[in-house]
Amino acid sequence: MKRIIPREEYCIGCRLCEIHCMVQHSKSRNIIKAFKKEKRPAKRVEVEERGHVSFALQCRHCDEAPCITACLSGAMQRDAASGAVVHDPQRCVGCWTCILVCPYGAVRRDAAEKKVVGKCDLCPDLEVPACVANCPNEALVLVEE
Amino acid sequence: MLTYDYVVVGNSAAAINACDAIRSLDQDGSLAVFGEEKRRCYSRPLISYLVMGYIDEKGMYYRPTDYYRKRRIDFHPGSRVEVVDLERHFLETSSGERFKWKKLLLATGFQPFIPPVEGLAEMRYLTFVSWDDARTMLRLTARPLRSLVMGAGLIGMKAAEALHSRGCEVVVVEKMDRILPLALDEVASEMVAARCREAGIEVTTGRSVSRVETRGGYRGTAVLDDGAELDFDLLVVAVGVRPRMELAEEAGLHCDRGILVDEHQRTSCPNVFAAGDVAAAFDLVRGEPAVNALWPIAALQGKYAGLNMAGREVPYPGGNSMNAVEFFGLPVLSAGVVNPPDDSYEVIVRRGEDGDYRKVVIQGDLLVGMLVAGKIERAGILTSLIQERANVRRIRNFLLEEGFGHIHFPRSMREERIVEAVAGLARAGKGEEKRIVSHAQGSALSGR
Ligand SMILES: Cc1cc2nc3c(=O)[nH]c(=O)nc-3n(C[C@H](O)[C@H](O)[C@H](O)COP(=O)(O)OP(=O)(O)OC[C@H]3O[C@@H](n4cnc5c(N)ncnc54)[C@H](O)[C@@H]3O)c2cc1C
Ligand code: SF4
Ligand code: SF4
Repeated sequence: MKRIIPREEYCIGCRLCEIHCMVQHSKSRNIIKAFKKEKRPAKRVEVEERGHVSFALQCRHCDEAPCITACLSGAMQRDAASGAVVHDPQRCVGCWTCILVCPYGAVRRDAAEKKVVGKCDLCPDLEVPACVANCPNEALVLVEE
Repeated sequence: MLTYDYVVVGNSAAAINACDAIRSLDQDGSLAVFGEEKRRCYSRPLISYLVMGYIDEKGMYYRPTDYYRKRRIDFHPGSRVEVVDLERHFLETSSGERFKWKKLLLATGFQPFIPPVEGLAEMRYLTFVSWDDARTMLRLTARPLRSLVMGAGLIGMKAAEALHSRGCEVVVVEKMDRILPLALDEVASEMVAARCREAGIEVTTGRSVSRVETRGGYRGTAVLDDGAELDFDLLVVAVGVRPRMELAEEAGLHCDRGILVDEHQRTSCPNVFAAGDVAAAFDLVRGEPAVNALWPIAALQGKYAGLNMAGREVPYPGGNSMNAVEFFGLPVLSAGVVNPPDDSYEVIVRRGEDGDYRKVVIQGDLLVGMLVAGKIERAGILTSLIQERANVRRIRNFLLEEGFGHIHFPRSMREERIVEAVAGLARAGKGEEKRIVSHAQGSALSGR
């Protein structure tokens, strides 16, 4: 199981992870189009910042994922192969129950889609998730259990 | 008589999550599910989405078509269990078949409460709790009609929303002085009611229906307690739900306001478990057993019942009331105590200019309730603090800030939650770099 770990001592709060995440989850996957022409997708990583401290947080892919148990539609599921917690926008109805129960605040409403949520999917099409790959200071690392 | 290792009565949130849990520990034990409805498990809360056309019938199913086969579950659809014999360990279905069980789960859910309103027994009406009800509503509203909804709880308001989307005139009559009285507080109730009124739904509170007269079929006239009369073509009765515990009561299980269960979801009979809307299980905010008739709670209880049935003794962590609603573009989330019963609670409220409303309820150093309307993102952090019964003394002043998050936690607590709580990773964040498989390649400052 792969997970992304934030290292707050290295995070400089530049929010590049948020930008690259949004681009990666946009329709065109092009930064200009994604920000200027399309509906911006929900960012799946959130930089928390206060004074000099900052870090980037995304879905923890919890072992006892509360979002899976709570999901009204069955859209939140654990992927048997990767162990990741994956979300199926096709089945999601946007009831926000997962937002209500996620202890990390890692699920957001996704304005680019009809009423559904979005969360970190570990970028299944990439070898290294966009946020990790584009962090200028290695403040996000991908670990394998 | 066929004997099953595990029998589950009911086929909804609690039942299916119990099956998943049983199968996660025991792949070989024989397992049967009895469901009185003819369908595979579907999501009850989605029936309003179906009526509104937001999802199609395929979208109703909670699990894929091959679910039962893949999990090797003997599924008995359209099969109501009528007798449970605790001494001889068998059950009998409506068709007279008998089956023996070694472990039994009662996940029979809820039934709508029908108030003793004069004339109601002579009338046809909907209760809007099943897929069949959704279909009936779709059929009846092929042409827009005048509808009356009794009760402004979650089910009543969902029915009202569904009827509105079908172009119907909608009047909601609620006896209490506000809508969604259990899920929301006064302010949020009024915010939602205002949205509904703007959309054209008539919401009447503080009044009740004292009598109905049928005018044939679903059509009738309601007489309110103040004498006002309302004609309608369709009536929805949604004044509350009750645990469906007749089966358990007749079998002799201890019941109070639900089937009483211990921390392992076990009833007063050792091999019989109960979960979901039918069970009164531990509520960690109230500190005593309660029925929280909610899908996530039913699913969680089902999961723990299943684990315990399959032999792993794990206590149910407890649940608490929580709600996620959205009406006409206004999302509201709440959890725990939103309407404190006395002044031993401290309430902190914050209102933003753009109609944003946030509230937390604190007792001593514990966060026991929260409500957010408008900007709902990240509210789950508050829910989790309620459930963990975390001490919030040091962060109480930040709880309502828009950017509230782990950044406000003491560093040790933050690290524990983010890095260590994710099982198996405790060392990764603490310098055991070899487990790191990747970070940014060729970054400006690399070379550490
Ligand atoms: C319109 C509507 C909207 C809702 N919206 C929400 C929401 O947004 N969020 C939320 O958390 N909750 C919501 N709920 C509540 C939620 O649906 C319930 O909490 C949940 O379904 C409870 O699950 P359960 O497994 O305990 O039982 P149920 O879903 O009640 O299922 C019990 C099953 O057991 C079967 N059964 C009962 N007795 C027998 C028997 N003797 N033999 C065989 N089968 C039997 C029944 O037919 C039924 O299929 C909503 C409910 C409705 C009706
Ligand atoms: S969305 Fe939240 S609850 Fe679900 S797995 Fe991710 S962090 Fe856990
Ligand atoms: S918003 Fe979507 S993923 Fe979240 S609980 Fe509802 S249906 Fe499931």
